[in-house]
Amino acid sequence: MDLSVVVPLYNEEDSVTPLYVAITNTLKKLGCESEIIFVDDGSHDRTFSVAERLAASDPKLRVVKFRRNYGQTPAMAAGIDLARGSTVVTMDGDLQNDPADIPNFIEKIEEGYDIVVGWRFDRQDKLISRKIPSRIANWLIGKVTGVPIKDNGCSLKAFRADVIKQVPLYSEMHRFIPAIASIAGPRVAEIKVRHHARQFGESKYGLSRIYKVLLDLLTIKTIAGFTSRPLKWFALLAVPALLLAVSMLVGSVVVTLYGTTPSLPMAGAGLFFGALGLMLLFNGVLAELINRTGDTQVTKLPLLTAVEITIASNVNAESQVTRITPE
Amino acid sequence: MSRHIEISVIVPVGNRFDATGSLVREYLKALSETGRAFELVYVLDGKHPDFGAELIRVADQDTRLRIIQLAKSFGETTALSAGIENTSGEIIVTLPAYYQIEASEIEKLIAEIDVCDLAICARWPRAAASRFEVFRRKAFHWLINSMTGSSFTDLGCGARAFKRIVAEEVPIYGDQQQFIPLLASRRGFRVRETQIRQSDRDKFDGRYGPKIYLRRFLDIFTVFFLVRFTKKPLRFFGMIGSITLLFGVAFLLYVVVQRLFFGVALADRPALLLSSLLVVLGLQIFALGLLGELIIFTHARELKEYTIDKIVN
Repeated sequence: MDLSVVVPLYNEEDSVTPLYVAITNTLKKLGCESEIIFVDDGSHDRTFSVAERLAASDPKLRVVKFRRNYGQTPAMAAGIDLARGSTVVTMDGDLQNDPADIPNFIEKIEEGYDIVVGWRFDRQDKLISRKIPSRIANWLIGKVTGVPIKDNGCSLKAFRADVIKQVPLYSEMHRFIPAIASIAGPRVAEIKVRHHARQFGESKYGLSRIYKVLLDLLTIKTIAGFTSRPLKWFALLAVPALLLAVSMLVGSVVVTLYGTTPSLPMAGAGLFFGALGLMLLFNGVLAELINRTGDTQVTKLPLLTAVEITIASNVNAESQVTRITPE
Repeated sequence: MSRHIEISVIVPVGNRFDATGSLVREYLKALSETGRAFELVYVLDGKHPDFGAELIRVADQDTRLRIIQLAKSFGETTALSAGIENTSGEIIVTLPAYYQIEASEIEKLIAEIDVCDLAICARWPRAAASRFEVFRRKAFHWLINSMTGSSFTDLGCGARAFKRIVAEEVPIYGDQQQFIPLLASRRGFRVRETQIRQSDRDKFDGRYGPKIYLRRFLDIFTVFFLVRFTKKPLRFFGMIGSITLLFGVAFLLYVVVQRLFFGVALADRPALLLSSLLVVLGLQIFALGLLGELIIFTHARELKEYTIDKIVN
């Protein structure tokens, strides 16, 4: 199968049918072998029954029902896990993304990109509560992770399935997919997409997530920093603590020898920082252990995007680039 | 066992049990009245020779009673698991080994399974030994409910009915069988509390030792962490760590500024010790959070976050 379109749905009973029709029309035009996966994230309305009825007459539509509401990231993760296509496209279920953009994404994937991200250049949302915070967040995410993407929040994205299926996706990480995936060194493209104002229902998030995004960002930064050699990372943290410890200990000896009063507190504080340095080093060892025993073999992620270049012996022939796909 | 079992009833026998055997007969009678194919399994957690002999006497006359003897006392959770592993009914009912609910109400509890995945009891009307007991019970549930965002009123009741799939999917270990309803609803199962008549003989003097309080506290803490932060350890450790660190740094700056600009000696001040300790502790807690994140990240693909109810096509 060539293409899987994954759509998380949460209380979208009005949008399901128009969305299904729009996606099906696009896929028909594309003409490749494809499937649609609707993931019902524990909706309280008739989302599932509407989708189930559509699926009854279309074997290409798969509907997954969650037992309760888990959030958008787990819904996407489930869809991606179940996807059978070699390319996976994700999009929002609220009709704000336009399925007609999908062919542009496929084109980019075929050009050899591993991840294609949508950019809502003409965003139809409230300025204060949505657009400005998102502008700031995107700038920050780009600075911190080193993956400069103009619109991390756009759900319309395309992935090469080999890559996205290996990238751990949990909690509220879906907006950081390109950043997490950067461990695997993917070729990322960003293309403009259309964006429509909301037709049905309420927008499901607002200002309160900034705080969470900040913490997630810190997590991503640390994970990305950890991956190759966590011990080194922790050792770097330990160095200032150890330096401080040594200088405090020396200082206390000096004060005791030449000062008027003995300086036990200074020596004690020095010992504290010495202990911290050691603990951080041991934490680093523990981190190495975790890295090695984990299910996601972080060190193997870069292999996902590796290509083999065959140099042509004939000057006129083009060099060949072949994907190496690990098992 | 050759005949088809619909309901497996498991009774873990720990420290507290009714030794006369009259309760066993009451359970058997009440279960017969449901008219469903059932088995009643007593799991003896530890050696209870007298009670074991009594059970064997009853089992002699009634083959629906089975007895599983554990080699030593492992705790109620293990006893329950042993019972679940060795039974086959689609519906599992757990009952206390002592008088807690009216045996005749079991039918009502089992009927609840038609509309939910896990049915638990709320003993009502509820007798209480003292005002303090009522207060303690209320405080416990208020704490649990406000931390996990649920609304249970009687987690301490050992009588529960659930579908086998709940037991297969909800991870229980340690001393957490009390919290099965919380963990189950976390996994997306429908959990319902039903008012059940309390047994007249549900006697409990209402006194717990300090050890029990400590254990309860640890349990609440564990469940709080499991329910709220399993997937985001840094949000938990980071919060505590950064507050500690902030206090430490502010304090440290204060003493350093005093030394630099106001000539207060630094080296012999205990305040230096305290502030350094806070900084060290804060950083260490933060580092633990990072380790937690790393564990989650490297295991994210096997620790599936979601549970799928149904897949169409």
